[in-house]
Amino acid sequence: MGKIMLDGHAIPFKLGDNILQTALEANLEIPHFCYHAALGSLGACRLCAVEITPKDSGKAPRVAMACLEPSEDGLKVSVSAIAAQQVRQHVIEFLMINHPHDCPICDEGGECHLQDMTVVCGPPYRRYRGRKRTFPNQDLGPLIHHEMNRCITCYRCTRFYQDYALGNDLGAMRLRNEVYFGRFQDGPLENPFAGNLVEVCPTGVFTDAIFRQHFARVWDLKTAPSICPHCSVGCNTLPGARDGTLRRVRNRAHPELNRWFICDRGRYGHQYSEHSARPLAPRVSGTDTSYHDALNAAASQIKSTQDCIGGLGSTREDLEGNAMLQALLNNLGGIFTAFSDPKLETATIAAVSSLQNIGNAPSLAEIEQIDAALIIGDLTAHAPMIDLALRQAYRKGAKLAFLYSSPTPLAQFATTAITVSPQEMCTELSRLYQLINAQSAAEDITDTPMTDIAASLMGARKSLLIGAIETMTSQEVSTLSKLATALGSDTKLAYAFSGANAYGAALLSPTGSAVAMLEAVEAGQIRILIVAGNDPLGDSRFGTRWRAACRNLSALIVLDCILTATAKAADILFPVAAWTERGGTFINYEGRAQGFATVFHRPEYLPNVARVITDLAQYLGHSLQAAPSVLGDIFSDFQIPKPGTTGSLITAPSLPMPATASAHSIQESCNSTWQAALASWYGDEALASFAPGLMALTPKTVAMIEPTSAIDAGIKNGSKIKLRGSSGSMVLSVRFNQDVATGTIAIARNVLVQLGVGHGDSLELEQVL
Amino acid sequence: MEALLTRHLDPVAPLNLVAYQATGGYRSLTSAFDLKPEKIIGIVEAANLRGRGGAGFPCGLKWRLRGADAPSPRYLICNLDESEPGTFKDRYLLYGGPHQIIESIIVSAFALQAERAFIFVRGEYAKGGNALNQAIQEAETAGLLGTNIRGSGFNLQIEAHLSGGRYICGEETAQINAIEGKRPNPRHKIPRPSTHGLWGQPTTTNNVETLINVPHILLNGADWFRELGVNGGCGSKLFCVSGKVKHSGLFELPCGTPARELIFEHAGGLDENRALLGFLPGGASTAFLLPKHLDVPMDFDPIAKAGSRLGTGSIIVLDDATCPVEVTLNLMRFFARESCGFCTPCRDGLPYLTQILTTISSGSGRADDLALLDELCATIASQSFCAFAPGAVMPLVSSLKCFHDHYEHHVTTGRCPFNEANKNGA
Amino acid sequence: MNNILKELQKDLLHLPRTHPKRRAVAIPAMQALQAELGYLDDAAIEKIAQITGLSTTEAEELATFYSLIYRRPAGRHTVRICDSVCCSMRGADQLLTAAEEYIRTPLGTVTPDGALTVLPGICLGLCDKAPAALVDGEALGPLNDASLKALLQRLQQKD
Repeated sequence: MGKIMLDGHAIPFKLGDNILQTALEANLEIPHFCYHAALGSLGACRLCAVEITPKDSGKAPRVAMACLEPSEDGLKVSVSAIAAQQVRQHVIEFLMINHPHDCPICDEGGECHLQDMTVVCGPPYRRYRGRKRTFPNQDLGPLIHHEMNRCITCYRCTRFYQDYALGNDLGAMRLRNEVYFGRFQDGPLENPFAGNLVEVCPTGVFTDAIFRQHFARVWDLKTAPSICPHCSVGCNTLPGARDGTLRRVRNRAHPELNRWFICDRGRYGHQYSEHSARPLAPRVSGTDTSYHDALNAAASQIKSTQDCIGGLGSTREDLEGNAMLQALLNNLGGIFTAFSDPKLETATIAAVSSLQNIGNAPSLAEIEQIDAALIIGDLTAHAPMIDLALRQAYRKGAKLAFLYSSPTPLAQFATTAITVSPQEMCTELSRLYQLINAQSAAEDITDTPMTDIAASLMGARKSLLIGAIETMTSQEVSTLSKLATALGSDTKLAYAFSGANAYGAALLSPTGSAVAMLEAVEAGQIRILIVAGNDPLGDSRFGTRWRAACRNLSALIVLDCILTATAKAADILFPVAAWTERGGTFINYEGRAQGFATVFHRPEYLPNVARVITDLAQYLGHSLQAAPSVLGDIFSDFQIPKPGTTGSLITAPSLPMPATASAHSIQESCNSTWQAALASWYGDEALASFAPGLMALTPKTVAMIEPTSAIDAGIKNGSKIKLRGSSGSMVLSVRFNQDVATGTIAIARNVLVQLGVGHGDSLELEQVL
Repeated sequence: MEALLTRHLDPVAPLNLVAYQATGGYRSLTSAFDLKPEKIIGIVEAANLRGRGGAGFPCGLKWRLRGADAPSPRYLICNLDESEPGTFKDRYLLYGGPHQIIESIIVSAFALQAERAFIFVRGEYAKGGNALNQAIQEAETAGLLGTNIRGSGFNLQIEAHLSGGRYICGEETAQINAIEGKRPNPRHKIPRPSTHGLWGQPTTTNNVETLINVPHILLNGADWFRELGVNGGCGSKLFCVSGKVKHSGLFELPCGTPARELIFEHAGGLDENRALLGFLPGGASTAFLLPKHLDVPMDFDPIAKAGSRLGTGSIIVLDDATCPVEVTLNLMRFFARESCGFCTPCRDGLPYLTQILTTISSGSGRADDLALLDELCATIASQSFCAFAPGAVMPLVSSLKCFHDHYEHHVTTGRCPFNEANKNGA
Repeated sequence: MNNILKELQKDLLHLPRTHPKRRAVAIPAMQALQAELGYLDDAAIEKIAQITGLSTTEAEELATFYSLIYRRPAGRHTVRICDSVCCSMRGADQLLTAAEEYIRTPLGTVTPDGALTVLPGICLGLCDKAPAALVDGEALGPLNDASLKALLQRLQQKD
């Protein structure tokens, strides 16, 4: 490895790196704008001017751009040379010609890269005496505020948006000093990663419109390392709070996971914790009360019952909360599960079990390096940042193959995309498995899309099989796992789980515990149910049964930070701290345990789940160990990961692969030809559904049907149909969509809930004239 | 010297294929197809044919450096996008004789073994572009384009791309982006377009005037071509003369002909009672020369030695009734308006210079503005992304030197000496 | 839709979404559509997007770069008067002022009768005809006040 001499210091460099990268790697700052570690060098801003003297060349030193000059052994580089300083000063002077002097009221204040560079490089005074050019701004939707006059034309925004995130509705218009970054017409940015513009922009052109509504100067924000609670990827975040309210969430780099970016659900979903309907006071029988009285009420209910008690944790509840609930139930002789949906439970446990057997899921950084992938279902909504990682793989030439039942944005980059109805998914996966087994023996198989997929997976250097667990059955999971084994060690397996701590929840939930719990409540064997962060009554597939079953309860005790259907129905409700208001641990999709810290406290007393459970135990005369030792008992040598570190893989006892029961037991009596599929949308998630900014972008509720099967059934595009499920019916207008499988109707989650059907369940359809 | 490149041009009724062939047109194909491609490149190199688009890079060397083993598909781009103020030679070539262009491209593409060629035509020359398309069709029908041209085994397809119109599209890599349908910002030149050009493939770009010399070199030899020049120049050269002369026009003369002959003989000299103040020798992006440079041969090296550039060989003449500050301001407005907006010094620096010049020209300049202009030009010229901005500031930097007194006068008196009215505050 | 556009659309129909040709035909498509419409309004940009498979924003990125793609209404006849150095030295600036006064419409906009758009343009490559103009693509020069006015009058009366 060679070294460059940077102002007299020998700095080692990686071959192929440029001077700027070498310096930044060594934590030495060379002023720059357009260079960005994720976006690379461009050479447009011309700020990273340095003076260079090649080794032994005898040539005079010259000023060059550090981002475009490769590091070479012995190369002398001076940032401080007068000639380089002068260039940087001029560049700043040029950029400030048109930049407004609105710094006192600018949202970027305190974290403005342009201001930092101006202070560092000078000049201190303005010489330009002409007029400034001005631009109109665009309405870019509820999440991002546009202020084009501040633009310094570094092209970071379009490079991120178009080149990195593969969006196509933000671009560079016009030319000269009138280059304008915007959309064709006003309207919300469509890319699910658009919010990163706020951080990518070195000045205040794109700012956080939600933060803006309740602004605080950034140096007044309280921050602490946190983990995003909105999916199982576990992106590292840095929330900022002030005066007892959460104001914003930003990316916090994790070298193997999210690095520079987070998705818009992660950035804007946080509004759930400031939602006007958020429960903030304990409630008993619909009346606000004190924490003490609520605990008393809960304790006396539990003491008075002779029946079994149930404890329902959650895939979004942290490891501590779930483990403490389980510990309490152990003490009380009750049963525990973290899953309200038995199908989701078996699929999740099957997935974790196969990851334990086959090898851990790849990190996002590793996913970016694969050259072929098979994607089952939708990732954009179930793990947005895995979608973004696959976009990077695609940019490098990876072949992406899809088997999916309803539209998924990532499929626009597919090499092969096959729509498959939910009920046929397992058969199709088995076919692929057979193809791959057969193809290793016989080569001459007819060319079909499925053989293309088989060939691309078998020909890949590094491949990935990945599925969205929420829309998969345990049989599909086990087939996919067989497929991974057949493909060999160059194939990685990963799942987008449902819930930030789904992996952890699976480790704590015995197989079959969800169905056991539901049946026990239905049978009246469980009369008291403690629900922590779960919403069984709002479930699409099992909500009808849970709602009926819960009528048998003598007490429904709910701990949550959002007002779910279950929280609304609670006899005793304990409002708990939101994720930014407490510390805890999530296990992400890789099995990585990551800690998050308390960012701030609200003025109300909002304990976390573990605290409520501990207090409740005390009121019942039990004494529970503290969460770390409870967890230490479950997972040998488990250390609670420190917030702000990169976390580590959890070592857990092997989960058994669940026995594969018949998948579609519910709708067997129903002879309808149509089946439902979840129409995913990246904003659709339990917590984020309480974030008004994000929810303003909710797609119109329609029934999406594949044109041919619709026309066969005499259904017209735009016509009205009535859909009927186990718990109700709904009239929707039809939207033809090629990305829906034959015989399938893709509908949003709220429709599924209202109808009482799950992904893959049968539906009755009736035309409305 | 007998006209070589312009001999058969007819802007009113350009020769069709048959008529062009009757003048000996397309004869060079026979010579070319008899030779090995490397041999042709060798001949062009020996002829010392230098690029006529402005940079003057030796054409044969450019072709050789691309490498015979460059992976297929290989592209040739004929740059017919002249937008340089003062330059109109390509217009004559396009409107006057499209078949000459096609013949040149065929033999050049053969030398480069390029299977697809693009002619990038100025948007303002749309009518000429239409005629060119017709000529391409004629050539295709006659088997001069397409597969296995005249049994040579060589295949070539030519497409004319009509520009949407911007000066920067004349820049090699911006032009590549334009053809690909991307925003025509210049590209970083590493890797070079000769290896990673159009759609990432080996691409050679030549000015149309450069290419039309190739058939003549093939037919008559490198020595003959070199000897066409005078005063050390090689070959024939198209010169444009415009501005304050009696007869603006295009003149085909030996490369190396001095400006004096061009201005005073061929262009008829200046208006009565007017004296020469100075001239731009190679179009708007070159440095001003003074009357003392009239006898410098109009050739790449001598003009460079005199402190300017031969550029496109387009002389713009200023007489002593013309305010050089006004002219320079016009040039700077042009460049500020045509900047693609990619890099900071060009995008924001040129309007800055224009703003300062405007205040000087209108009489509200300050004493330190001249030094400020010099200071800013130094950074803009040396630190911009492509060659646009260095070219743009060349006339200004030289104007500040050549016509320093005029600037001083504007600043100190607050008025333009060429304008009776006091412009202050206007 | 004119034949050129129909041809283009047919060519692209079966090409993959990311095929380079889709971008490469964007400017020819815009030129063909502009020849028909006089200028490209928002609906025309949407049409280009539909034909090429680019997004409207991607089409707009290109359309707004070029000087000969008009995103604002243009008259039935366009007169581009060169304002660059040679023409300026020969009186182009006065010509532009005279034209603006004569048609009583700001440069770059359409006369109320829809007949004319006069606008300044960069060097047209007609320096030997300075001061020159491009009238509906046809070169004209040298012009003076009288010949310009006669020209504008003729164009206004033409149809």
